[in-house]
Amino acid sequence: MTTELRETRLPGVGVKYTLMCRGRGQRLAVILHNDGTREIYVFGRATDEEPAAVVELDDDEARQLGAVLGGAYERPKIVEELEMALGELAIEWIPVPQESPAIGKTLAEAAFRQRTGITIIAILREPEPVAGAQPEDVIEEGDTLVTVGKLGQYPAFRKLLAQGPFDG
Amino acid sequence: MTLGQLAVTVALLGGLGLVASRFGLSAIPAYLLAGLLLGPNAPEALSLIQPSEVTEFVAELGVVFLLFFLGLEFTFDRLVRSGRRTVLGGSIDLLANAGLGLIVGVAAFGLSFGALVLAAAVYISSSAVAIKGLIDFRRLADEETDLVLGILLFEDLAIALVLGFAATGGGSGAETVGIAAKAVAFIALSLAASRMLARPIDRLLTRMPREFFLLFVFALVVGMSATAHELGLSEAIGALMAGVVLSDTGAREEIEERFFSMRDLFAALFFFVFGLTIDLGAVDSIGWIVALAVALTLVGKLGGGYAAGRVGGYTRRQSINVGAALVAHGEFTIVLAQLARGNPKLSGDVKADLTAFAGLYVLATATLGVVLMKESRRIGRLLFPVTT
Repeated sequence: MTTELRETRLPGVGVKYTLMCRGRGQRLAVILHNDGTREIYVFGRATDEEPAAVVELDDDEARQLGAVLGGAYERPKIVEELEMALGELAIEWIPVPQESPAIGKTLAEAAFRQRTGITIIAILREPEPVAGAQPEDVIEEGDTLVTVGKLGQYPAFRKLLAQGPFDG
Repeated sequence: MTLGQLAVTVALLGGLGLVASRFGLSAIPAYLLAGLLLGPNAPEALSLIQPSEVTEFVAELGVVFLLFFLGLEFTFDRLVRSGRRTVLGGSIDLLANAGLGLIVGVAAFGLSFGALVLAAAVYISSSAVAIKGLIDFRRLADEETDLVLGILLFEDLAIALVLGFAATGGGSGAETVGIAAKAVAFIALSLAASRMLARPIDRLLTRMPREFFLLFVFALVVGMSATAHELGLSEAIGALMAGVVLSDTGAREEIEERFFSMRDLFAALFFFVFGLTIDLGAVDSIGWIVALAVALTLVGKLGGGYAAGRVGGYTRRQSINVGAALVAHGEFTIVLAQLARGNPKLSGDVKADLTAFAGLYVLATATLGVVLMKESRRIGRLLFPVTT
């Protein structure tokens, strides 16, 4: 299965990426302007001359949209299946439940790895994600934990994250 | 020009530019029109501002900045990368329109240097107007837009050579050829320098405290303009090549960010000051030349663009769009006329005619070109009801 994404330079303007969508035969064009703004042209059918819609995004908006589409916020089903295919090892995005007793604890205090085998490699949070999570990083409300572990270890991890206990 | 006049002028230009953009037009014809109306020549109803040493200096700086930015945008690599279609299409466009331009030039000035400048002015389409149109009319995603932008790039490179000698050529034949050869050498040297010097310049600029960054870049631009001038070439080609040298460095983005506002101001003043020198009284003698040039431009650009599109493998409707995007003329046409105005070897009459011609021709084609771009799809559907 290959995706037909075509890159073209637009001298004086920027770069254009064209994508033919397999689903309903629509055509998408994304234009990266030299000044950083992005435009998305949506064509109802691949052969349409007039775009059905044009969306203009500034740099911040484009990056956020990109993260959403890439699955950094919520993972679509298809990504989950893909990870199953990787074998026993999985990378999971796990939102911290609002009532979690882990909130306010450092990763060292929570000791997820010693207790469940799951390693936290990064924390997604606003405005700045934590790329390489350190033992002294504190879990905050609203965080999403990026974790690595064996599939069988996740039920215990989820239970611990939601209910604790974290004494000592 | 007093400070008060300058304030009124700049405010007026801002207002007119705003009105023009409301109507989807480029600001260039609006600035020209403002200069034409406020200038000392006919029409004289609103003659507020006299051309002087100050306005001439502003115009000179305007040319330098305009070309410096054009240089930053285009690199030889980009043209090579954009491929065979571009080179083929660009050549068709060059042969058709430089040829037709030469016919107009010879009809106006006989076999002379003035005819050559006029041919170049008719050949070179406006990248500024075309790109604005492509963005405004939502054409960036179209396949044929790649070809349009490629041809515009090709034209800009071709015209760089003419810019080199427009201000100084026109003496004896041998002398003009000598200057043209010098221009070629200067361009080649600058291109070589842009490859070899990119890294050292990069290192220098990144280590430079921010406050001096601007001064250094400014010195390089003006310095290269002066060098070109000393060599008997136009300062314009020096500024253009300064842009090319810096276009491959990592500093490009910061330069664009920091100089953009300045470029817009100087470009506005440049077109305005050029407008001041247009004498509508010359319409009697050059009106027919402008009419002929506009008619031949429609033939050459629409036909040449269509041919370039078809040769490049685009559909008939798409090829119509290519031609329509190339009709508008603008910045380079004016720059060429401005350079020729400073050329001591051209007679006063030829200069006045060239100035008035360039002004009126740009006003006509920039307006007509935008309308054609807007309607080109409808025209394509009317002419070719069946897509092939």
